[in-house]
Amino acid sequence: MIQETLFVIALLVFVAGILIPLATASRDQRIFRIVSHGCTVIGSAALGILALLVLLTGDGLSWTLYQPLPGCSLSVTIDRLAAFFLLLIAAVSACVALYTAEYVEHLEGGSRRNLLCACTNLFILAMALVVVSANTFAFLIFWELMAGCSFLLVMYDYAGPETRKAGIFYFVMTQLSTLFVLLGIVLLYGQTGSFAFTRTGVSLIATLAFIALLIGFSIKAGIIPFHKWLPYAHPASPTPISALMSGVMLKIAVYGLLRFLLDVFSPDLWWGILILILGIVSAVLGIIYALKEYDIKAMLAYSSIENTGIIFTGIGLYVIFASSGQPVIATISLLGALFHALNHAMFKSLLFLTAGSVVHATHTRDIEHMGGLVHRMPCTSALFFVGALAIAALPPLNGFASEILIFISFFSSVAVADPLFKVFLFLCLGLFALTSALSAACFVKAFGSIFLALPRSPESSRAQEVPFLMLLGPALLASACIVLGLFAAQLFLLVGLSVPIPDMFLVGLLLLAMAFLTFAVLYFTASREVRVTGTWGCGTPSLKPAMEYSGHGFSEPIEIIFSTVYRTEMKNERKFFDAKNCIFAEGTADIRLMKIFEEYLYLPVARFSYLAATKISRFQNGCLDTYLLYVFCAVIAIIVYLGWLA
Amino acid sequence: MIDPALIQSVIRVLFAVVIITAAYIISTRNLSTLVSAYAFQSLTLVFMALALWSLEDAPILLAIAIITFISKVLIIPYFITTIQERIRIKRDIEFHFLSPTTSLLLSMGLILFIYIALSNILKDTAARESLFFFGAVIGLSLMLMGMMVTFSRKRAITKVLGYLSMENGVLLFGMFVTELPFIIEFLIVIDLIILVMLTTILSVGLDSTLEEYHDRLHRFHLVEDTEEGS
Repeated sequence: MIQETLFVIALLVFVAGILIPLATASRDQRIFRIVSHGCTVIGSAALGILALLVLLTGDGLSWTLYQPLPGCSLSVTIDRLAAFFLLLIAAVSACVALYTAEYVEHLEGGSRRNLLCACTNLFILAMALVVVSANTFAFLIFWELMAGCSFLLVMYDYAGPETRKAGIFYFVMTQLSTLFVLLGIVLLYGQTGSFAFTRTGVSLIATLAFIALLIGFSIKAGIIPFHKWLPYAHPASPTPISALMSGVMLKIAVYGLLRFLLDVFSPDLWWGILILILGIVSAVLGIIYALKEYDIKAMLAYSSIENTGIIFTGIGLYVIFASSGQPVIATISLLGALFHALNHAMFKSLLFLTAGSVVHATHTRDIEHMGGLVHRMPCTSALFFVGALAIAALPPLNGFASEILIFISFFSSVAVADPLFKVFLFLCLGLFALTSALSAACFVKAFGSIFLALPRSPESSRAQEVPFLMLLGPALLASACIVLGLFAAQLFLLVGLSVPIPDMFLVGLLLLAMAFLTFAVLYFTASREVRVTGTWGCGTPSLKPAMEYSGHGFSEPIEIIFSTVYRTEMKNERKFFDAKNCIFAEGTADIRLMKIFEEYLYLPVARFSYLAATKISRFQNGCLDTYLLYVFCAVIAIIVYLGWLA
Repeated sequence: MIDPALIQSVIRVLFAVVIITAAYIISTRNLSTLVSAYAFQSLTLVFMALALWSLEDAPILLAIAIITFISKVLIIPYFITTIQERIRIKRDIEFHFLSPTTSLLLSMGLILFIYIALSNILKDTAARESLFFFGAVIGLSLMLMGMMVTFSRKRAITKVLGYLSMENGVLLFGMFVTELPFIIEFLIVIDLIILVMLTTILSVGLDSTLEEYHDRLHRFHLVEDTEEGS
């Protein structure tokens, strides 16, 4: 069968892509890395074709790789949901591999770059295997493989203190995520007695399993308040890895949640409300924090939190409508969430890759030190512009197409009977709309600060366009953004789904016509008189780049509006010479952005764990007699259990 | 043919002997009689196996009796006596967590506790013979009493004896309750001999320099600090 052949080819090619650079890890030669990236592209292509075949024909694939014990096996099953996410992985991975083939040569690290290539391939393979896992046992194994690989990739630049901090933070969070997923799977195993994705009834254990899995997947997806690893890990890791993690790995968490919701649980209404609240809070807070961020990669990381929030909103709406007996709206919400996952993978990896190019050219991540790049890097800026338009959900690009689906399902909530619930949904709708607007503002700021006006640093003024391969990968992603936007309605029809979205191609044509019309009117009506004059520079003799309208200036009004969210802490300490505080001696003033989640959630939890660990570690005193005593007590406890409690 | 009732009463007497030797191992401070007590306990087990063999006529019990006699009555005590002669310590007076009196009291409580626990566990099983039930109780108690020796004594050599006595408990339990496969019993005995040989080697030291010899003796708590200068 062609599906099986394609899958085996993809598997073997990826394994080759892992082994070749590993076997030649001591030799710093470009050819091995190119071969490895070639394997990524070929493997992704095979996976992509396989996914398309399954999506279009509906003929799945089931296959057992290895069965260590009866009842738990490493098996794969590709149905349409898995195929959809497989397509997403394949598309992004191939483009990222094209980009990395050039990018990795500019990285420091000598032959360590071979390991980067091998690990990237393993990471992609692990993500693909998570998606195609046929049972929870395989799911967990591949999930942990994915987590381990991503940690190694984040730690590529292990010598930097920033990377080490990010690495440890990420490691703790990702292991917590695995722990919760494991807990959920074990609870489900206790309920159903098998590792298969089988439907469970409504019970307390099923609810607990859902909560554990939701927390596990939320940590991985970067849902607030479990999001803090994203803004640390993304700036610290190499650009292609950020693109893969943000574009694809977050979606694997979404896939996990969906797989369990659709195939295993029988969701309750309040589950949907919980997911919706998590989603909306993440979307709004994510974009508010992104507005305040001036490190370009951290800003994109926060924007990922926002977009994952949007996807969770869609899933929440699906659960709500499905459990209140409105399957049509539920399907629209689910499709919106899925389509947004695909679209976000495309435009976020596009933005990360182009941002990586910009950082590569300017050697800074601070957008206030960029500027004027539109003349120096025209292709990169055009590609970033497409990504910014898409993420700001402007028609006719793909971001708009998916968000409109979620908007439509929100509007349909008038059909919900309970008036109080209706108010709640409309409140969420308002916040959701706010998210879209703020997202547009955020990317206007980003594009303006990075590419427009004059360069604000010497590096920025010396920046040059990146090589061809570093443009080709993002260009493919940008075209995907445009195609997915313009032909959204047609694509849905192609896979056999009818959704109430407008024909975006027509919308695009109308918009183009409007633009031409505006241009024509302005061209013919504008004055032809030429007037040369200097800009008013507030009386200074010459205008300097630092006087430009900066990103800080642009986001200041929004920061004032949301100052209660940011929780700025102002310290003003003064010392005086006299007792009556009249003669000023010295003072310090400090304005600091409070890291609310870190200070009020993460650090207390960490401190508590540390305290508990210190207490518990006293039991390990290095004395053999004590350990024998523990064994003795354990034996007594077992006898007590068997004699009286069993 | 000997009367089964007589054999059963002999086995009951042997149970009492086993308990007495175990109590002696827990409480004594004299190391040379400790080894003798262990050898005597093992010999009791040999007799018990023989008695059971004459009762049930299972050849495996005879085999157990033979290998127990060779390994636990002859070889292991011989090794341990050799160590003791080499390292010249006669007394073990350092205890951890429990003093000998407390250990004795505790082991009495332990036997009672296991008796009640096993009666609870086995109360629904109809085919409960009192002899085999006692065998299980004594076996488990011997095991736990051996364990108490391993964690309450500080000297390595006493710990080893505690461990050996624990294994005797397992053997007793196995003889009466479960059909332990002969091969496993045989492997355990080989393990025990290796363990004792290793203790011999570690206690005495592989090389002959005097400083390291003393160092090792201290590291494995085989000699008291006061003897250091001698």
